[in-house]
Amino acid sequence: MPDSEKSVKQDPIIQLIVFRLGEEEYGIRIEQVKEVTITPEIARMPKTPPFVKGIANLRGDIIAVIDLEERFRLRSAGQEMPAVSYTMAIEAKEYTIGIMVREVPQPLSIQQSIIEKAPEFIQDINIHDKYIEGIAKIEDRIIVVLDMLKLLTPSEIMQLQPKTESSGSGSRTTA
Amino acid sequence: MKSREQEYREIFMAEALEYYNAMSRHISELERNPTDEPSLNELFRLMHNLKSNSRAMGYNSIGELAHHMETIFGLIRSKEKTFTGSVVPVLFTGIDTIGEMIRAVGANEDMPTVERLLDNLDRLVRGEEPILEEEEDDTDEDANRKLELSDLVYIQIKKLDHLMNLVGELIIDRDRVLTLSQEIGNPALLMAATHLSRIADELQYSVMDARLVGVGSLFSKFPRVVRDVATAEKKDVELTMVGEDIQIDRNILQIITDSLLHLVRNAIGHGLETPQERVAAGKPAQGHLTLSAQTERDDVLIQVQDDGRGIDVESVRRKAVERGLVAANVAATLDADAVRAFLFEPGFSMAKEVTEISGRGVGLDVVKLAIDSLGGQLRVESVLGQGTTFTLVLPTSIAVKGALLFQLDQRNYAIPLMHTDSVVSLQPENFNVVGGVLLTRLQDENVPVVSLRRLLHNGDGPLPPAVKAEVEGRQDIIIVKYNNRRLGLIVDRFLRQQDIVVKPMSKPLDTIDLFGGVTLLGSGQVCLVLDVPALTRLFLAKRP
Repeated sequence: MPDSEKSVKQDPIIQLIVFRLGEEEYGIRIEQVKEVTITPEIARMPKTPPFVKGIANLRGDIIAVIDLEERFRLRSAGQEMPAVSYTMAIEAKEYTIGIMVREVPQPLSIQQSIIEKAPEFIQDINIHDKYIEGIAKIEDRIIVVLDMLKLLTPSEIMQLQPKTESSGSGSRTTA
Repeated sequence: MKSREQEYREIFMAEALEYYNAMSRHISELERNPTDEPSLNELFRLMHNLKSNSRAMGYNSIGELAHHMETIFGLIRSKEKTFTGSVVPVLFTGIDTIGEMIRAVGANEDMPTVERLLDNLDRLVRGEEPILEEEEDDTDEDANRKLELSDLVYIQIKKLDHLMNLVGELIIDRDRVLTLSQEIGNPALLMAATHLSRIADELQYSVMDARLVGVGSLFSKFPRVVRDVATAEKKDVELTMVGEDIQIDRNILQIITDSLLHLVRNAIGHGLETPQERVAAGKPAQGHLTLSAQTERDDVLIQVQDDGRGIDVESVRRKAVERGLVAANVAATLDADAVRAFLFEPGFSMAKEVTEISGRGVGLDVVKLAIDSLGGQLRVESVLGQGTTFTLVLPTSIAVKGALLFQLDQRNYAIPLMHTDSVVSLQPENFNVVGGVLLTRLQDENVPVVSLRRLLHNGDGPLPPAVKAEVEGRQDIIIVKYNNRRLGLIVDRFLRQQDIVVKPMSKPLDTIDLFGGVTLLGSGQVCLVLDVPALTRLFLAKRP
């Protein structure tokens, strides 16, 4: 990596946490990741979208755990989550949320300038471009940098799937 | 338990001592810089506050002294006097004396005499020289006395909430350590775990105790409310309050404040008749309203009782049918309690004409929801022509709840005991299917029964009609009760009864109202706590 003073000043180094979803690599800015741990026992929560795996006890904090492979339909058939998976605790705006991944996420330092704005074609692969901060190309790797804060808003998690508006009180008035 | 008077006195003491300390600070500042305006303003303000507080508490001599001091500071502030010469020692003496008087209140002793001081202050106001006496023997004592801290600490409720949460987690860990130590079976470990458990218990009760306040702190606001509402409604109302010393968690009291206000307004506005109507009905012209609090086991009961016209069950029944809340043929069979339960239905209360006929119903659903959110119950009893009683059954503390644990699909769930009616195991022959709903007969009442699995995991549509052939073998059923409706929930297996610490559901999942929260079991497992009101509503909305 070029380390001249000039490039440091004008092109800050940022740290990403890189993980795999399906066949692709994704990254999140390290500030947004609170910790990475082996996925704790998850209690399935009825009346939630299928990609919300349930809730888990993370050192006394009860957090929701979601599966982004399922959310973005990136899982190939027969590629179930392994028995031991990892969970990244992400700090969203008002809460912490867990994201389940199949391999240990790795840190990676890159220059900010490497991240390019997402090209149009990205919309084809199920992830709507509004969650994507950009694409980083490093040698032969391509890393999709996600904007977690947009991805983890309550409405994204609870209402994207039309099925969720279900618990009694919501539609009570017509009964 | 403290009486209210004592409580008020302690609060007065704490505030007065705080004022006194601030006064000492500011007058010292003033001595260094005799024209320091911020200090002067503060002193003036503090004297004024102390004067009002003391007079309100009946400590007139403190009030009198504070009044005189306020006058002088006012004069200095408006530059009619200066903080120089003989003014300085008199004002210092004044503040010292205020300190002595406050301490005398705290120690329940006689007040020091202040005539000479007041006389000196008057002289200053008139522009005369005060008569100063040398009091040499006093200086030692003064130096000792000034270093005094209040016995009361103000604390933000937020900090207590945090403590409470921490204790909740400690209790969960305590259970876990106890379970583990029993499994391991090491005597020394077991002893340490038992000791830890006892201390954790005591800590829990101390923190809970620190959050308790007298119900009187809320009740005391009502004489004025009653007077105002009664005047506006042209009613003659006598308010009686009972059980002001009953203790309850401060946050619970906060949450029910609006509900209680609502019930009291309703009772005066709609429940009680005008004096003329009362006399015509053969009742005393003055209406009676009673606010009472009492403890019942671990719960606190708060009642709003009036001797007004009562609720006309028949008109409520009629309106419930008109509003489409119940079919006419079903309505005819409902008993009075079941009919009165309609008053808490959201659709019901909106109807203005109903309130005029039945005399009740403005926003009772809101009251009901507030009480539900606490895991409490709202009941109503009424005799036509004799009056109505609303009863709020509230937990003493928010954090710890008795709960029934059970299993469904190998997962643990909890249901608060507050909403559990009974637990039964029934054979298939005990069930009937009526209109696609499984019914069983319990204590001469038909109770609908539903598989909890189906209720939770059914999609958006209505539940499929129940078929009797599906019921195989013995069924473990928890009968829950909400708003006078009983509902049986078929579960896989009962586990046990246990005190649990309910943590609120974390965002963003808190929008799912079926769960009142989660708790952690001794094993560290996450256990969902079901919300019976929401479950009942879900069943009513989705029944076949």
